[in-house]
Parts: sequence; structure tokens; C-alpha cells
Amino acid sequence: MTTRRYRVQHRTAYLYGAEMTDGYTIACLVPRPTDWQRVIESDVVVDPVPSEMDSYIDAFGNLVHQFGVHEPHRAMTIEATSIVDVDQRSITFDSTPWELVATDLDTLAGPAALDVGFFRSASTFVDPSAVRASLQVIADRSFVPGRPVTEAIAGLCHEINTTFEFDPAFTDVSTPLADVLLTRRGVCQDFAHLAIGCLRAVGLAARYVSGYIETEPPPGTQRLVGADASHAWCSVWTPNAGWVDFDPTNDQMPVNRHVTVAWGRDYADVTPVRGVMIGPATTQRLDVSVDVSSHPVA
Amino acid sequence: MIEDTGASIGRLLSPSHDLRAAVLDPERLAERQARADRLLEADGAGHLVHDLPVRGDGRAASIESRPWRIDPIPIVLDEATFRWLSAAIVERMEALEAVLSDLYGSQTLIRQRVVPAEVLAATDRYRINAGGAPPHRWLTTYAADVTLGADGAWYLVQDLTDAPPGLGYALLNRSVMARVMPDVIGVPEIAPIASFTGSIRSGLASVSRVDSPRIVLFSGGLDHPSYVDHSYLAVQLGVHLVEGADLVVRRRKVWLRTLDGLEPVDVLYRRMEDATIDPLEVGAHGSVGVPGLLQAVRSGGVALANAHGSGVVEADEVVAFIDAAIDSVHPLRQLLSRLGHADTPLAHVPVSPGLGGHAIGSAPVVVRLFAVHDGISVTVMPGGIGRVLAPGDDPTIPTACAAKDVWVLGRGIAPVVGPHLPQVDFGRSLPTRAADALYWTNRAAERAEAMARTARVVSARLQQDPGLVSVHGGAWTSRMIRITHAVRHDAWTELASSVSLEGLQRELGALSNAVALEIGSLLTEATTVREYLSVTTGRVLAHLAQLRTGLQRGEAGVDDLDAVLADFAAFAGMWHESTVRGPAWRIGDTGRRLERCLVVLDLVDAAVGQSENDSPEVEAAAIEVLLAANESLVAYRRRHRSDVEMSAAIALLIHDETNPRSLRASIEQLTRHVQEGGWDVGLELAAAAREALMLPLAELLPVMRSVVLDAGAKVVERWFSSPVAPIMLRPMGAAT
Repeated sequence: MTTRRYRVQHRTAYLYGAEMTDGYTIACLVPRPTDWQRVIESDVVVDPVPSEMDSYIDAFGNLVHQFGVHEPHRAMTIEATSIVDVDQRSITFDSTPWELVATDLDTLAGPAALDVGFFRSASTFVDPSAVRASLQVIADRSFVPGRPVTEAIAGLCHEINTTFEFDPAFTDVSTPLADVLLTRRGVCQDFAHLAIGCLRAVGLAARYVSGYIETEPPPGTQRLVGADASHAWCSVWTPNAGWVDFDPTNDQMPVNRHVTVAWGRDYADVTPVRGVMIGPATTQRLDVSVDVSSHPVA
Repeated sequence: MIEDTGASIGRLLSPSHDLRAAVLDPERLAERQARADRLLEADGAGHLVHDLPVRGDGRAASIESRPWRIDPIPIVLDEATFRWLSAAIVERMEALEAVLSDLYGSQTLIRQRVVPAEVLAATDRYRINAGGAPPHRWLTTYAADVTLGADGAWYLVQDLTDAPPGLGYALLNRSVMARVMPDVIGVPEIAPIASFTGSIRSGLASVSRVDSPRIVLFSGGLDHPSYVDHSYLAVQLGVHLVEGADLVVRRRKVWLRTLDGLEPVDVLYRRMEDATIDPLEVGAHGSVGVPGLLQAVRSGGVALANAHGSGVVEADEVVAFIDAAIDSVHPLRQLLSRLGHADTPLAHVPVSPGLGGHAIGSAPVVVRLFAVHDGISVTVMPGGIGRVLAPGDDPTIPTACAAKDVWVLGRGIAPVVGPHLPQVDFGRSLPTRAADALYWTNRAAERAEAMARTARVVSARLQQDPGLVSVHGGAWTSRMIRITHAVRHDAWTELASSVSLEGLQRELGALSNAVALEIGSLLTEATTVREYLSVTTGRVLAHLAQLRTGLQRGEAGVDDLDAVLADFAAFAGMWHESTVRGPAWRIGDTGRRLERCLVVLDLVDAAVGQSENDSPEVEAAAIEVLLAANESLVAYRRRHRSDVEMSAAIALLIHDETNPRSLRASIEQLTRHVQEGGWDVGLELAAAAREALMLPLAELLPVMRSVVLDAGAKVVERWFSSPVAPIMLRPMGAAT
């Protein structure tokens, strides 16, 4: 089993066209510990130094930082640095027919109902109301009767990967699913939202995962899409394997090149940086840089 | 004719024969309806603005008036009925408290699928992160809508757990009814409701960790559909009504912006839906609310009543699961079954025919009853508000309608008296937004008064002597047009064609309209600071609102203008006589005096001879208008007893400190305000103004104008210009 040690630096810099009196920010930037991931070190540094900085665990178990700057300021920089060990995950197949998984979820009770139930409904960025039929058409190609659930999900991710074009120029965070479906292009979070929409349409529980992906290709392997930026994929619940991650953007199941930060119903629950400021209406310039490096650990 | 629906009327109107006869007395219904309409207009409209004027500082204010009417036939609940309902409501409120505590706490209901997670996940009324820091109590206030079925059983229409609206309306309705039928309502059998506000105050105080907490009513402001409800309730509770922009979160606490700086707030009586109180929260609705508020709540810096998240009980998706949830965590002993379908036959109660008809009609009603946890136990207000349903109305959806007061009978129902609470106020501090509104209210009042008086003087002269129009080739007309232009702050454009009777009449029409506009902005501003104005002031404002309609139509005659002027005099008098001398008075009076300075400057500028050729007759007419428009004609005549003369008029209007309308008197008063307020920039401006008074007229006018305009700008800059609208940070996407 190979474990890799990742160092992630994620810098978010805002420059405002005028002086703000107060700034309030919520950041979801620190990787969470999981069965296959240990957080060795993490640090969030804000400039100007915040008047108060709190951290709490949100409803989904993510570590969230909330801070306030209450002095006049024209710029704000958030620098999050983490060192994370990621074990190599074995890929577990669950051969339960997908229909059975979906029907069982309808009556699932006990702790699993809490773990899974919140990820089956429409959510802010995965609102199927206007696109139900289109999602169903895409889902139906992979979710044929009786197909093992893991295989069907992988089929869906392959379908998205091959019939939608990756286009970083195309979307911003608020791209509705309808636009993605219409233009058949998007970025990782659009594909994650799209996959989640299809998975929920067939009755499965799917969540949105925010994190990073290593982009330096190991010798002899293909370079992965998405150099040094935050990344997003999805995770699906199956009865025998629990939550299993799928990355539709790269048509693969994460093994040890993905660093998990947070998960939620969709992007809205785990937005890396969101906030509000008080001051005159003005322009905002946003610069984001992400640096992911890794090496194997014994 | 009372449509006799047998037992049902008996249940809803089961008072003694005498009381029944008294409330249904057909001889008096029309009179009572008229009186109720008039009083509601007066009292309610004092809290209400009817259309969309623009504020003094250029911001648009808007509100749709939501008309309702009081049906003078009350709903009367006998003691046994009220006790039964009251017990059911207390029990239900406690059960809902347990349900909320479970949904956000142990989540057993979700685990057992009594309330499926899928259902909660689909609504942003389930505030997913609200469970992190459980509140002292989820529900401080609760309201239940109930209705009586034709089968004689009471049904629950809906639970209101988020920010149950209507308590302000209920109190307002009762105050109107008390004046509509004082002889009937005064009997000791009818339980009073006014002291319920004491229980609310105790309940609000009890959610805070602080001993004598500072409480504010947190409203959405003028744009909120229930603003009248909020505004009236704030006055009755004796707490500040605040909006998002009045509050700021710093150091994990909530602060009120006041003229003297930030003052801490301990409890927010939340009248805003819970998705709208903090724009930072997941599932927040846009940039409204107070950023960081929930961080302050989580760290115990402020308490919310009701707690954030309590609205989930009302969510359309969740309602169907609530009864099962109650059965599971807090089974009810006394069942108020839920109204099943819209076609369930409901009992009819007598309804007033209104002003037009004669026959008493009948209709089903939904009765809203209010409960509060006062820190010790739950109390139900012995009263409420009844909503008359029109055919086809959904009982759960509020409509513009007739409202009924709800009377509870029984000497045994002790008047609710809350435990005594030390009143903590905010000292002499004045919320910045209220100061802003008081300032513009007074400026608008002063300007509108001057415009109305000018219009009145010119119209009256024209009426007396229509021949004036052609005097000296239209010189009189030209001068009058110039004056009316100046007083409405409009740029003077020389239009030969307008120097005619039609031109002048057009001018007077425009001036009427301008008065209407100023009244509009006066009403808008005043509505947001109702708690600083006396009850009588509310009635004057309501009357002005009515007169305003006539002014807008351009139909205002001399009599109408006299009526408007009488209202302005009453408004100014009450402001002057009933406002405690403190920051509110100072900032309001500052606005009034600054505007008065500008009015004098505008009018003198327009009235002093611009044309060398004007005859003494035209000159005299101009001086007369100038003096009258400044309410100084009588003073002048007493003093001079001669023909009007420009230099004497100027002396009276500019230099005479004993004339309260003079420039000097206003500047002296402003000087006292800045001295008391200890405002250095203001002192410098006052000194500059005093110096300007010594200049010859031709120089005085422009110099003084620039000082006064500068002072106005400095006041705004010093106190009101701090930008408070939250701006959303550009979100960062995952770009791979």
C-alpha cells in the first residue's frame, strides 16, 4: 500500500476598489480526516489579521473557519496550507443491482438514515426541476435494469466524461445545470453536479466532494486534467462499500491522487471561500492560486 | 338577517344574551363600521405608507399598502372554550419545542424516518447548521391558526413557529375596537390583552444569559409585508425597531449603530424569516440580514427569539410529518386535529355587512391565537385575530380581508401580568437610521409647509383679484411664477410663454404636486420612526396622507391648502412640544432649521427685485407673498403698520432674532444644537453662518446658501453616510 504525503497551498486574494469597514468570511479550506486520509498539519492565515477567528464543525463534519475583519481594508488574503497523508484506497465493487439500492434507501433507518438521507434530494446547485427529463436520459444509458450499482455509476461517469467537453473558460460557480446540459461543456464542479443530479434522479444518495487533485503525472502515466486548482468530484453510497468516490471529470475512481477537503449536498455547502463585506459598492478582483505537491512516504 | 348555523354560532358567539344583542345590534353596525374604518385608517395608516415616494436622500422607498378592514362584530369565545383551546395550544407549543429540539439535536426522528432526512434536505427552512449550538429555547413565541368545523370541533389550520406574525395587528385591532364600542368592551367579563406584551418582554429577556438584557425588535423594515405589525408591536413593547443595517457584528456580539457609537444588543426579537437573517449562512436569501449574526449566536453573544431554524415546522415539505413527529416525541393529551381538506365544512359566524349592506352575513373564520413562553411557563393571550374567509380562500394563505377582534369571556381568566422587569433602555442613544429618518422627516415637513403656504398665498391673491395677471404687462405673474419656482427648489427658466394665467396655474399645479411629493417622503421617513412620534402625530400623518391624494390630482384649492397647513402646524407643534429634548430632538430640529434657512434664502432671492422696471405695486405684492410664505406677514404688520417695504421685510426675515422664522433665529438655534452635541465641524459652520449674516444682501444670499448646503452635506457625512449594505464576496469556483 502506497501512502503519499501532500502539501497543499491555497491562496485566495481579494482586491477591492474601495475601502471596506467590515469583512465577514467563511472558509472551508482545511482537509478533513477520513479513513484513508490523515491531516498532519494545517494552518489558515488571513491578512489583515482578523479581529476574531472561530472554527467549527458543520452539519456534514467539515472543519469551517469563520473570521471577521473590522478595520478599514482594501484587500484580503487567505492562505491555507495543509500537509496530508493519503493512503492508497482499494477500489471496492458493490454488485447489488442499483434498483435494489435505491428502493432500500427509501426505508433505510438508524444511523445510516442520517448519513445518507440528506444526499438524495434536490439542492441549491442540483435542482432538477427544469432538467428532469434530460438527467433521466443520461442516467438511463448507464442505469440499465439489474446492472451492479458500482458499474452503473462508473458507466455514468464515463458517459459524462466522453460526451461533455471540459472547458475552463465556460462556467462560473453559478452555472445552472440547464446551461451545462445545453452546451454540453463545463468544469469539474459542473460535472460533479451533473453526475449528482443523475444519481439522485435514479434514487441513489450522492454527495459533492471538494478537494484537490495532484497534477504532476508519475512517469509513464497520462497527465490529469486540472493543474493546480481546487477540484470537485462526487461520492455515492452503496450498501456493501459505503461511500465510494467517483471523479467524472477524469473518468476514474480516486485512489490516492485526490485530497479530500469537505463534502456536502453540493457546492453551496462547501464553498471554499464565501463572504460578505460592508462598504461602498465597488469592484472586486479575485486571484486564486493552488499548489499541490507530493511525495511517497514509507 | 343572521343566517342561523345553529350550534356553531352558539360556540363562537356564546356570550350572555345582552352581550350578543349588543355586538349584533343592527342599528349600530353601520356607525361602528364607519368608526372602525376611520380609526384604523388613522392609527394604522400612521404606521403605513401608501405608495412609492423617494426618500430625501434619493433612495427609493417602497411599500405596498396591505389594506385590511376591521369587522366590528367580534368573535367571542366563552371561558370554557378558551380554556380548552388554550390548553391545547400550550401543549402543542411544548410538543413542537420537543420536535425542534430533536430535529436539530439527537435527530431520533430522522433516524427513525418519522421525518425523513430527504424531506428536510429539500427545504432551506431546515437550517442544516442550526444544530451546532442548541439555543436556550427554540420557541419563545408561537401562534396557532384554528377554525371551528361545522361539526362543532376545533381544527388546527397551521402552526406558526418562525416569526409568528399578527400580534401587532391583534393589539391594534383591540385598541380600535375599544374606541368603537367602549360601552360594550369595557365590561369586566371581557379579558384585556394589553398586558400580554409584559409576558412577551419577560419571555424575550429569559432567552438571554444577561441579567437585564437589551432587547430590540428585528424587522425587515418598510419593505417587509408585515411592517405595520412590527412597527405597532415595537411601540407597544417599548423596544427599538431595528433593521439589518442598524446592526453590526463585531467581536462575536451584535451592536446597534447609534449617533453616539455602537451599543450592545442582547436579544433580537426576530420578525424576519430565518433564511434572511444572515447572508453568510448556507441557503441564505441574498445579501439581506446581518452578516456574522449566526456566528454571534453560536458563540452566545446574542440570543434570538425564536431561535434560528424554528421555521422548519412551517415548511410546506415538512408539515405533513409534524403530527407524527409530535406523536413520537411528545404525545398530546388533548387533540386539536388538523384541518384535512379545503372542503371540510366550517362553521359560519356573523359578519358585518360593511358600509353598503344592511343584512348581517355569515362566513367561516380562521382564528389566530398567540402563545409565549415567558421564561417560566407558556401563556396564551386571551384574545387574538380572526380572519374572515371569502369563498374559495385557502385558510392557510393570508389575504387582504376583514379582520375580527377576538374576545375572551370570563372573569376567571386572570389578566396576564408579566413579572416585573427592570426596563433597560439604550439611554440617550439614538439608532443611526432613526436619526437619519427624523432628520429627513423634518426637512420634508419644513419644505412642504413653505411650498403649501406659498401656493396658498398666491392662489388666494389670484382668486381675490384675477386682474393682477395682466398688471404691468404680466410683471406680477412673472414674479409669482419666479417665487413658486424658487420655493419648490426648481431651476428658474425664463419662459415668455408661461407668463400668462395658464402659465401661473400650471405653476400652482406643479407646486401642489411638489407638496404631495414632499408629504410622501415625510410619510415614508416618519413611518420608519413611528416609535419616536406621538400617537396623535400618527393621526395627523394619516390625515396628511388623505389630503395628499387631492394634491396629486392637482385639485387643491385654497381650502385644501389650509387643511394641509393646519396638519403641518399640528405636526410641527407636536414635534416641538412632545419630543424629549435629546439626540432625537436635536437631529430632527437640525434638519428642520437647515431647511428653514434654505427656504428663506430661496424666497428672498426670488422676491427681491430682479427687474429694475418693476412697479412699486408688483414689488409690494412680491414682498407680501415673501412675508406670508414665511409666516411673517402678521409680525410685519404689527411692527410697521405701513405699506410693505422691502428693506424692512428683509430685516425681519433675515436679521431679526425675535422672529422665529428668521435666518438669524434658525442659525442661533443650530448653533445651540452643535454646542450641545459637541460637534467641532458644526461649530465652525455656525461661526461661518454668523459671519455671513453681516454681509450685504447681495453677498449674503450666495455665501449663506453655500454654508447651509455645506452644513447639510456635513451632517449626512458625519452621521448617515457610513455604507451599511452588505456586499457579497465574489465566490471562488473549483476551476478544474
